[in-house]
Amino acid sequence: MDESPVTEAVATDSTAGAFEPKIVAFLCNWCSYAGADLAGISRIQYPPSIRVIRVPCSGRVDPFFILKALQNGADGVLVSGCHPGDCHYLTGNYVARRRFAVLNDLLEFAGIDPGRVSFSWVSAAEGERFAEVVRDVTEKVRQLGPNKKLLKEEVA
Amino acid sequence: MKAFILSAEELGRLVTEWAKSGAVYAPVKVKDWSEFRRISSLAEADLTRVNTKLSARSLLFPQCETMFRFETSHPDKAQLAAEPVPQVILGVRPCDAAGIAVLDKFFAGQGETDTFYRRRRDKTILVGLACQVPDDTCFCTAVGGSPAGTRGLDLLLTDIGGHYVAEPLTERGEAAVKDMNEAAAADLAKKDELASKATAAMAERIDTRKLKELLDTADTNPVWGELSLPCVNCGACTFVCPTCHCFDITDETRKDKGARIRVWDTCQSCMYSQHASGHNPRLAPAARFRNRTMDKFRYTVDQVGEVSCVGCGRCIRECPAGIDIRETVERLMLALGEQSADAMQTADCKMQKAK
Amino acid sequence: MSREEQLRKRAKELLAKKEVVMVICYRAGKRPGTATPAFVTRPDGADSLVFDDRCGMNLAAYLPRVKHLGRIAVVAKGCDSRSLVTLLKEKQVTRDQLLILGVGCEGVKEKGKLSDACATCAYPNPVICDEMIGEKVTEPPPAPDPLADFEKLTPDERWQVLADDVSRCIRCYACRQVCPNCYCPTCFVDTNSPQWVGKTTAESDNMMFHLMRAMHMAGRCVECGSCSRGCPMGIDLMRFNRKVAKIVKERFGATAGLVPDEPPALAAFDPGDKQEFIQ
Repeated sequence: MDESPVTEAVATDSTAGAFEPKIVAFLCNWCSYAGADLAGISRIQYPPSIRVIRVPCSGRVDPFFILKALQNGADGVLVSGCHPGDCHYLTGNYVARRRFAVLNDLLEFAGIDPGRVSFSWVSAAEGERFAEVVRDVTEKVRQLGPNKKLLKEEVA
Repeated sequence: MKAFILSAEELGRLVTEWAKSGAVYAPVKVKDWSEFRRISSLAEADLTRVNTKLSARSLLFPQCETMFRFETSHPDKAQLAAEPVPQVILGVRPCDAAGIAVLDKFFAGQGETDTFYRRRRDKTILVGLACQVPDDTCFCTAVGGSPAGTRGLDLLLTDIGGHYVAEPLTERGEAAVKDMNEAAAADLAKKDELASKATAAMAERIDTRKLKELLDTADTNPVWGELSLPCVNCGACTFVCPTCHCFDITDETRKDKGARIRVWDTCQSCMYSQHASGHNPRLAPAARFRNRTMDKFRYTVDQVGEVSCVGCGRCIRECPAGIDIRETVERLMLALGEQSADAMQTADCKMQKAK
Repeated sequence: MSREEQLRKRAKELLAKKEVVMVICYRAGKRPGTATPAFVTRPDGADSLVFDDRCGMNLAAYLPRVKHLGRIAVVAKGCDSRSLVTLLKEKQVTRDQLLILGVGCEGVKEKGKLSDACATCAYPNPVICDEMIGEKVTEPPPAPDPLADFEKLTPDERWQVLADDVSRCIRCYACRQVCPNCYCPTCFVDTNSPQWVGKTTAESDNMMFHLMRAMHMAGRCVECGSCSRGCPMGIDLMRFNRKVAKIVKERFGATAGLVPDEPPALAAFDPGDKQEFIQ
């Protein structure tokens, strides 16, 4: 695929200063984090744009984490948890889903571009899917360009 | 000092002149109120409203102010915030100017002075505008002020109908208008007439002279519990007040760079009095309500020798619970003045009829 | 007997018979056209009580502060009663601590104009009460969506409108203090480890505060408009609250402050909740 990190790295080199997004990824310990691991040990290639933060459950992800990441300079945020019905704590991701739904719609309402904040369900067995999600999210954020809204540019 | 007369055009030219060498701020219409904003010509200003949303204090003591910047790798090289630019604040009402005179005592009086306030204050010319029709929240005359008060100002303008009488009060004020025509006796008579009319129009007749004495022994009086009940302890009254001057200091850092910033704080927040140990001596909402009233009418009398309420009425206008500091004072005087419970009740009935 | 007379009479009775320790209602403010919350503990104090279109403050906000005193009678128009339901749901008060005196409400006026929140009110009558004082008012026809025009703007325009609006915020937290939903002992803006919201009034910090406050209102806000009316800087806070209420209604079919036994929408879930936004 032409989106592999190798071609990307080349592309970045040839167009010096091209925008490479920084994406903060909150990954559930029981699924997406292991999915990322599987992508790694399977040597599946995806862009090096994400900074992974391991959380015990997608239910742990407070909307504050997401907004704070944008405020502190992330260009995008990805939250990934277990597929519905597969939560290690039975219902954590169901409750989180409602919260994310409200946040998603509220951010859109506030004019934060759709695509800046993404949500996905990726299981521990879905290494290829994880890579696919990261490729997709990275591309979306790259299209949007650097995040300006909500960014706290410099101290006072 | 002798007074001068300015036409609106002449005032406009002065504003343009001032704007060349510094910043000019004046009340500007925003929705259905006015706010001090930077202007480049007089046409942008709206001098018809009595009081701006926030007082002129925010131009001398801004809500957020960077004190200095630093780099954690060079702790010895803190960079003091840049010098402020010279500013003229036009259309300051006498109550606001009196508020600045009170702030001067706290920030630039005897003893320690506050560098950041002092720097701005030294470069500020305050051009006042005498009031003619008081708002229903105004009570400057009850706290020693006047609709044509000159305290704290460099220059006071009185609109005598198309023309302004300009009274310089300081050398800076005089320098600003010295090339204008001198006011005629008739202009001055008109100005005085308007001033006494405005004073007569001030409905409020509360007497705060005895209040300090009564408050000195009122720390534990149960009246605070009763008076404070409607108060929700937001900080709106303190933030809109021309004389409140508490601030909090916070560091904001990003990687190895940072800034030390001060921001307005309010005694109405329970965090304000929170000790590092976890103890909070002013946890009770009533104690916080008491603190503000005591501060205005007792503590600052002890500190700087005067009441720190200038009667601008902003706290009355902006209180979400409709608390009226004039009424608070009235009820305090009744309760603390060893009046019987009957008197309180008469006050209740009076207030009810006042609707 | 006028509604006001009935109200005073009933408040007097309740206090005289010691059925309640306090009646929370309103009395006229010193300024014409204003009213302020009144906390009456003696029967004779009831003579000054009023209820009319000046009485905007949501009285449910005071309950967490006075509930320790004993049983409290509170005068509740539609929105106050819904806030009481929220408090009951969230176990901040128990039903037996309350005696709810319901009143029908024709809308609150601010400076002679109908308050913005009241213009779209769907519940002018109490949804829960122990007794009605006066008659119920006629339920209004459904109001058009007040967000429709704003939502038609482009994302950049929407951001700009909101950023301009919240740029006036002085972070006095009057919106939080008047809100019956905001009873947390330590609010997120007051924590400093971690410090979720910066102390400055920079656009980013102000927006962070307002967006997160809206998140915390989701499924709980009853759209009484106290925050917008209470804001000294005239910020349209209801725009945020209306939006979260609309999201919760559209996505989860829930309306805040109607059924005491139902959990708040964001403390519950349905396995079938729509998830079209999740990859």
